[in-house]
Amino acid sequence: MKNLLKTMSFVLIGILAAESIFANEVNLYTSRHYDTDDALYEDFTNETGIKVNIISGKGKALMQRIRSEGRNSLADIFITVDAANLWKLQKDNFFQSISSNKIQKSVPANLRGPNNEWVALAKRSRVIFYDSKKISKKQIRKLSYEDLADPKWKGKIVIRSSNNIYNQSLVASLIANHGVEETEKWAKGFVANFARKPQGNDRAQIIAIANGEAEIAIANSYYIGLMLSGKKGLEQKKAAQKVSLHFPSQAGRGTHINISGAGILKNAPNSLNATKLLEFLLSNKAQKHIINNTYEYPVVPVVRPNEIMSQFGKNFKEDQTSVSEYGKFNPEAVRLMDRVGWK
Amino acid sequence: MISKINSLDLWKIIPIIIFIIFVSPVAIVLFSLTGEYSENWLHLIEYVLTGYIINSLILVIGVSLLTLVIGVGTAWLISNYKFSGKRFFEWALILPLAVPPYILAYTFTGLFDAYGSANNLIRDIFSFQDAYVFFPSVRNIYGAIIVFSFTLYPYVYLASRMAFLNQSKSILESGKVLGLSKLKVFFNLALPMVRPAVIGGLMLVIMETLSDFGAVDHFAIETFTTGIFRTWYGMYDLQTAMQLASLLLIFITFFILIERFSRKDISYVGSSSVYGEIKFIEVFGINNLLCFGACGIPLFIGFILPIIELLNWTYNYKLDFFTGVFLQNSFNTIYLALLAALICSITALLINFSIRFKKNKFLSFLSSFLTLGYAVPGLILAIGVMKLLTYLDANLFSYYFDLILTGSIAGLIIAYIIKSYALASSIIESGYQRIGSNIDDVAITLKNTGLKLLGRVHLPLLKTSFLTSILLVVSEVIKELPATLILRPFNFDTLAVSTYIYASEERMFEAAAPAIAIVLVGLIPIIFLTRMIRESRPGSQNKDTNNA
Repeated sequence: MKNLLKTMSFVLIGILAAESIFANEVNLYTSRHYDTDDALYEDFTNETGIKVNIISGKGKALMQRIRSEGRNSLADIFITVDAANLWKLQKDNFFQSISSNKIQKSVPANLRGPNNEWVALAKRSRVIFYDSKKISKKQIRKLSYEDLADPKWKGKIVIRSSNNIYNQSLVASLIANHGVEETEKWAKGFVANFARKPQGNDRAQIIAIANGEAEIAIANSYYIGLMLSGKKGLEQKKAAQKVSLHFPSQAGRGTHINISGAGILKNAPNSLNATKLLEFLLSNKAQKHIINNTYEYPVVPVVRPNEIMSQFGKNFKEDQTSVSEYGKFNPEAVRLMDRVGWK
Repeated sequence: MISKINSLDLWKIIPIIIFIIFVSPVAIVLFSLTGEYSENWLHLIEYVLTGYIINSLILVIGVSLLTLVIGVGTAWLISNYKFSGKRFFEWALILPLAVPPYILAYTFTGLFDAYGSANNLIRDIFSFQDAYVFFPSVRNIYGAIIVFSFTLYPYVYLASRMAFLNQSKSILESGKVLGLSKLKVFFNLALPMVRPAVIGGLMLVIMETLSDFGAVDHFAIETFTTGIFRTWYGMYDLQTAMQLASLLLIFITFFILIERFSRKDISYVGSSSVYGEIKFIEVFGINNLLCFGACGIPLFIGFILPIIELLNWTYNYKLDFFTGVFLQNSFNTIYLALLAALICSITALLINFSIRFKKNKFLSFLSSFLTLGYAVPGLILAIGVMKLLTYLDANLFSYYFDLILTGSIAGLIIAYIIKSYALASSIIESGYQRIGSNIDDVAITLKNTGLKLLGRVHLPLLKTSFLTSILLVVSEVIKELPATLILRPFNFDTLAVSTYIYASEERMFEAAAPAIAIVLVGLIPIIFLTRMIRESRPGSQNKDTNNA
């Protein structure tokens, strides 16, 4: 027994001491986990000699870890796939201002924090997918998000659960433009038009259209690119070929945009390296790599979207509602969706 | 003399210090109840809380009934009857333990969604048209009941199997001689005698069901746990989320207390250790088929079916997973699992020994309290661990030792131990229940006290329980996900983490390879476990298994 205890304490000490420290590195907390991003980080290390250390996880959980660790945190950069998360950390004063002329020159101001607390790495739009055999071009041409509450779509709409942050951001953007009361009225009508209880991810909604389970689906733009590319298998490619894409609200505010973005933390131990990594991710080369693998939209205007995506429309009108509003109205959006029974 | 005094003092103090470290993350979660209550509570009560509670209750009741039927039923068949495939089922029935509920949930939707592989297959075979859907949707509470029951029943099976094996046959024989029917022998004699073991297994099933997030989230069912995360992620209200989690714990404590009280003064130790040669009843014809089916169905749904679907995905989409990274991840997984299991089982042994030998009320209370750790949703528990570690870092480690615990493996190990203490403790506790207190009295008369009593007398008797506890904890840690995700060090992945990274976006095809790896690695402890159970019956069968 004694020997066992002795061995165990040695093992424990060994574990604690195993934490090694590299001099030239940058530490990443990320909720954006695409295999292709790892290839980018490798390129960065090859170019600069800076090692990229990664912890990936859910955005909110990583944010809590940052909070909890406080001054002892080793995190340099936080990357997330929703603007609301960036806003929350910005508001609670966790980010430092990114000081890079390169980034300020290449990325438009509306895709950066008010004082450069964060910067977008890629854009996605939340669009309508529809069955062109059942809905004519004319019917869909002027369709806005607001129109989807019209009883004529009863039993024809599919969308994923309201637990999903993309839906929360969409509703938050409606609250920002119309106020809570008006949005709630809209949401009631919208939910009444659901073809089924919300289930599955964005791709499952697109497949539901292809299978004829519904006529209209709301999902993020890049999913169709992934499916059409054949990277997700032949079945998904075939399904994707059966659906058409519509950018909602072109006559009005424009189509809802969300971002995947990053900020450098106040206590970042390697903030210079962090700036270098962000500059790298916003270089033309890296932007091309991102859009050609994830089918998101670039944030650097000189880089053009992947052809699979641009076939659906090159210059659609984007909603200019500040992405910061999404975070501000997120809790209100969730409560609203609870009230109208959006599962 | 001096060393004796020291060891006695240490004996009292060390377990308590270790315990306080393990208990504090759970306490931190509960502590949220003393804080402020935000206005989100009004919203929750008015619109969603009732739904969360009702769904969770339906889920728990459904899963309890189904796991009892499957677990106790198959264990009874295996323990008393001889039928085709029995030797195989005896160990194979534990295999579903290697499949985490969330993975079964993913494969279920892959199979049974309107255009899932099972429905496609039916359409192809009978050349039905596209709109025809044979299997009903599984994305509902009934689907969830099936998923949890068929992955968790092995806890009840294991507990009942061990209890039936150790059950004195003479009582059952007397029952038969006195004219009881087979059913009456089962319900009136066999079942009451194994009740504590079965309830112990069932409690584990209930706690795991209540704390799960992955499977219910995938099926989009609003349970208490999904409510906790919606409140945190969506309403940015971690405080209320932790209060919700605390309510869940109080509810479970209530359960545990009722159970404890109801068997307070009853001793389940057989008066004599008479183990006659086991006589199996041989069954033929339709009964043989029924027995085969009763054991085959749980194994098929809980293990074979998901494996087939996962293999199908792996083969079609992602064979290149099995590389160096895979080896590293597997190594990380096994290393963490073994370390956590060892510490956890030793802790459980020491604590249960102290409770028995010293009749230490305080420890007994702490032990029950730590058992609750199993019912805390992993991420919420991780928050507790994180707060503990960052507090220790700020006030102790970085101050005096220039060390940072946060983001080291220490955090993971602590989380795993809290999460699996209930497993270890329940196994060792039921092991102790089978050792009569007269053995202690004899040992003490022979001057075997303290560690000597534990080492020389209890440990040999508890060997099976101790190893079982290690193996169960290993298989639990291999599957653990949410806490691992948030507490792990940089560049440190486990198999569950690589599965999650794909599965979280429902990229199940890519998640299939690491998911299969989890199942494969999880099989290792389970195979050991099955061998041990066979050999564990006192007094017999050893020769038999050695030949097998």
